[in-house]
Amino acid sequence: MKKVLTAVLMFSLIGSLIGCSGGGAAETPASNETGTETPPAAASDSKDPVKLRIAWWGGQSRHDYTLKVIEMYEAQNPHVTIEPEYAPFDDYWKKLAPQAVAGGLPDIIQMDISYLNQYAGRNQLADLKPFTESGELDVADVSENALSGGEVNGKLVALNLGVNALQTTFDVETMKKNGIDIPSKEWTWDDMDKMGAQAKEKGLQIGGFAYRHDVFFPYYLRTIGQKMYSADGKTIGYGDDQAFIDYFTRYQKWYDNGYILSLDKEAQKKGVAEEDEIVLGNSISGTGWSNQFLAVANLVTDRPLELNPMPGPGTKDGLFLKPSMYFSVTETSKHKEEAAKFISFFINDIEANKLIKGERGVPVSAKVKEALKPLLSENEAKIFDYVTWAEANSTQGDPPNPIGAVEIEKLLRDLSERILFKKISIEDAAAEFRKEANAILARSQQ
Amino acid sequence: MKRLRENEHITGYVFSAPFVLGFLIFTLYPILSSLYYSFTNYNLMEAPRWLGLANYERLFLEDDKIGKSFQVTFTYVFASVPLRLIFALFVAMILNTATKAVGLYRSAFYLPSLIGGSVAVAIMWQQIFGDKGLVNSALSLFGIHSTTSWIGNPSTALWTLIALSIWQFGSSMIIFLAGLKNIPRDYYEAASVDGANAVHRFFKITLPMLSPIILFNLTLQTISAFLTFTPAYIISRGEGGPLDQTLLYSLYLYRKAFSHFEMGYASALAWIMLLIVGVLTLLIFRSSTRWVHYESKGD
Amino acid sequence: MTKSRRILYHTLVGLFALGMTYPILWLVASSLKPNHEIFTTAYSLIPSRLEFSNYATGWKGFAGTTFATFFTNSFIIVIISTIGAVASSALVAFGLARTRFFGQQFWFACMMITMMLPHDVVIVPQYVMFAKFGWLSSFKPLIVPQFFGIPFFIFLIMQFIRTIPKELDEAAKIDGCSKYGIFFRVVVPLIVPALITCSIFSFYWRWDDFINPLIYLNNPEKYPVSLALKLFLDGESLNNWGGMFAMATLSLLPVVIVFFIFQKYIVEGISTTGLKG
Repeated sequence: MKKVLTAVLMFSLIGSLIGCSGGGAAETPASNETGTETPPAAASDSKDPVKLRIAWWGGQSRHDYTLKVIEMYEAQNPHVTIEPEYAPFDDYWKKLAPQAVAGGLPDIIQMDISYLNQYAGRNQLADLKPFTESGELDVADVSENALSGGEVNGKLVALNLGVNALQTTFDVETMKKNGIDIPSKEWTWDDMDKMGAQAKEKGLQIGGFAYRHDVFFPYYLRTIGQKMYSADGKTIGYGDDQAFIDYFTRYQKWYDNGYILSLDKEAQKKGVAEEDEIVLGNSISGTGWSNQFLAVANLVTDRPLELNPMPGPGTKDGLFLKPSMYFSVTETSKHKEEAAKFISFFINDIEANKLIKGERGVPVSAKVKEALKPLLSENEAKIFDYVTWAEANSTQGDPPNPIGAVEIEKLLRDLSERILFKKISIEDAAAEFRKEANAILARSQQ
Repeated sequence: MKRLRENEHITGYVFSAPFVLGFLIFTLYPILSSLYYSFTNYNLMEAPRWLGLANYERLFLEDDKIGKSFQVTFTYVFASVPLRLIFALFVAMILNTATKAVGLYRSAFYLPSLIGGSVAVAIMWQQIFGDKGLVNSALSLFGIHSTTSWIGNPSTALWTLIALSIWQFGSSMIIFLAGLKNIPRDYYEAASVDGANAVHRFFKITLPMLSPIILFNLTLQTISAFLTFTPAYIISRGEGGPLDQTLLYSLYLYRKAFSHFEMGYASALAWIMLLIVGVLTLLIFRSSTRWVHYESKGD
Repeated sequence: MTKSRRILYHTLVGLFALGMTYPILWLVASSLKPNHEIFTTAYSLIPSRLEFSNYATGWKGFAGTTFATFFTNSFIIVIISTIGAVASSALVAFGLARTRFFGQQFWFACMMITMMLPHDVVIVPQYVMFAKFGWLSSFKPLIVPQFFGIPFFIFLIMQFIRTIPKELDEAAKIDGCSKYGIFFRVVVPLIVPALITCSIFSFYWRWDDFINPLIYLNNPEKYPVSLALKLFLDGESLNNWGGMFAMATLSLLPVVIVFFIFQKYIVEGISTTGLKG
């Protein structure tokens, strides 16, 4: 054994020695000649074979059905081959960044609203308007409202694949059992206070906003007719810190009264539905996006959950349809037209959407939505119904967040922790938030 | 094979050729690029723009997270490295015999190091240090009823990370085991004849003979502790919370680079880290002339 | 050791070892639990019923690419990398520890620096560089650099070589050995424990590495196990936890087996006899 081992070692040592002087030197000069670029495709005649790269993030089920949709498309368009690339959300962005630097992004990339400006504002994404005008990207059944969520600086840089709306989930049966009043669709923050107090009395809790003040604070601002960011994205949009103070004063009251989950327990969560406080039976309500309802509701098998709007007053002004995710065509793509055609298929084709089944958000095409209805499970149908209701009872969403927003969201999160742990007064936090956030925005504009 | 004439310079380079070539081909360009980025504003989507020293000024004068991050990182390094090494050496000493059972023990002690930084670790750590975790259950056996989450509590969160690091002491243990193996047996035999007891043998033979390996473990563990990223990332879901108590430097750097798209600033952060770790390593090396014993002296 | 002391030793160390294996037991237990139970009864090591189907659903992988593919990829990457890394590092270590040449300290410093610079800031230029080489979407960026010495291993082996008495070199020299002869005939047999140690580490690190495969591989059919394991999970939908834990358990097997087989060579085998006196 020992002799063999030594022999193998020696052999590989010698091998590595030869390997390094030959391999390394030979590769370097060759690189400039060939490079990674494929020669620009001639005007894409639909008969020429086309290779498209497409990237998305997600979990196992999304990978599975997306591949089936791709196969379906390839079968109908034999000249197109589609190469998929997929990763989990965090890793996805780490993978895209170097590709963007090297000019090697896939033709189609799944896009998230918080990264949209980062990529679009710096000319990584192609304008899809020419294709919607020529009809290759068919948006006839998509509402203007849903389309506009993908516009940056007047260009359509991302096509909305589905929409979500903010909602409150009620565990109605547990509420009834404990004599807790079930609020109507037109409920208010005061009703939520009351609900918290009633739940507390029964040893239960209500769902707070966890760490997602980056979602709920802008919602609150909208209900009082203000905005998180100014129209030009250069400053914070609300003029008076009173809004910040009111929002967090109420939240702090819930927290101090024990209506909502304590931060140390919140901090240990892994962000999966299995740990949701409604699922665990500790909480009678929860807040979030409509798509998040599904996983929670599916886990609670012994009692029905219901979706309700967020509290008001001003619910209609506050609510909006949020693009769940987009497909974008990259500026470096050699086959923009073919890429647009695939996206068109993805949002419009009924058979394809029977596989997708609203997994990427409630479909933007009215026809698809109609066709899917009979196929939906009870919980899926509840989401579709709620979003349909929200379409009529919401207002235009804000433009995509300005560059720097990710950092500002983190700032808000940190400040909310310091407020609740009583490390800073709400007034000071409001002032600090404005100052720091404006500084981040100013730096990002450079 | 004519070149085999003993010219040490040539021989030295022949042996070192893989590294020297690899460094020039694969490593030099990325390192120099990152140094260049550190003087620029680089958002990855557009070409870097020269800023001069502005990133470094911001780092030292304006960034109020940096201080916190240094504090957390230094606490982590200075608590976890010594404890981990002492633990690893202790276990290695215990397991330094060649029987079947000990092979199993060695594997058992190495296992925690093998599950690395997966989601599984994050969930399991929550099972141990969460509000309903093992630690609290164990405490309640002693009549202490704690409902706090050790992971979510600002004053204990960092210590759960340090515990995780100590628990994964397997790699240091293996290196110590290999080092112990290299100590000639007859040294011990001679000492036994002289009537030295176990403690005596440990301090007179084991420690000095093992000192090159201790130097290695100390240096490398210090470097890797400064660069620790994965445990903090998975346990705080990349947030460094609560109250930035687990905001290890690499976590902050990662966020700047890939979440805020400030690669220029992130590079400045990286080079400052390099400087700090470099100086510390140099200090360790300087001090090593006093306590590291090389059998091959006369270099 | 006396008999009673031996019993005490095995009881204490055995119990301690058992405690240390808790994570593995937990992982295995989780891989056999029904999907919803993994969270609700996470503290329990005993599943309510054994759900072996987790292994089947996990093995299926994603969109027709099964774990057979992912395991094959991992083995290819890891075995070639490990051989390259250990062999080249041993050479370099000998060069730096036992010869004296112009620029030696400079190269040693370069080696230390490569270990100290946070990886995040070199990812991008490295990617651009490999793109220029035309190596993207292949195993080359993962494997080839391993053949040029890994600083961690070089330094480790250097420290081991330094514990070998120089008199051995001198003796071999008198016998007519060149430096090359000394390396192969004298030094390599003596640093087998260090080489084994490096092999164990290299195997595990390459096996566990997912960042580089993530960055450089595009086609999921080329993904290794480490990366595939991450594809199961997504924050917003219901996840196949059982499948994920089943495959995580399977992916541990090779590293555990490699460790168990190789660990005894660290401690067994020829022993250095000092040349003292």
